[in-house]
Amino acid sequence: MIKSGNISLGHSVKQIKGNIVSNMGGEKVMLSVKNGKYYNLGEIGGEIWDLIEEEISVNQLVAKLMSNFVVTKTECEKEVITFLELLLDESLIEIKDSL
Amino acid sequence: MKKEWKKPELQVLDVR
Repeated sequence: MIKSGNISLGHSVKQIKGNIVSNMGGEKVMLSVKNGKYYNLGEIGGEIWDLIEEEISVNQLVAKLMSNFVVTKTECEKEVITFLELLLDESLIEIKDSL
Repeated sequence: MKKEWKKPELQVLDVR
């Protein structure tokens, strides 16, 4: 099992299902009944959430985001991995060694 | 057309 702080580009990532998700004012909001918490993923976080509906490597995720947004590879990789670690801390995603 | 990038952040509110 991959722990927070150890996510790399070679890992694959996928949503954990079972949350109530909605779009509100262009931002993705989510209620986890299991955690008893409400989350606001924001606009970019919402895009990431949609892209990880099915299993995808972190590398592919970064590539897709770079094709949609004006961002450097270094910045995108760093900020996406940091965000994924936050999601992992909240048990909202699962991380595996890439297929 | 590419959109502007903003650092993704997660806001958490404990409903309980």
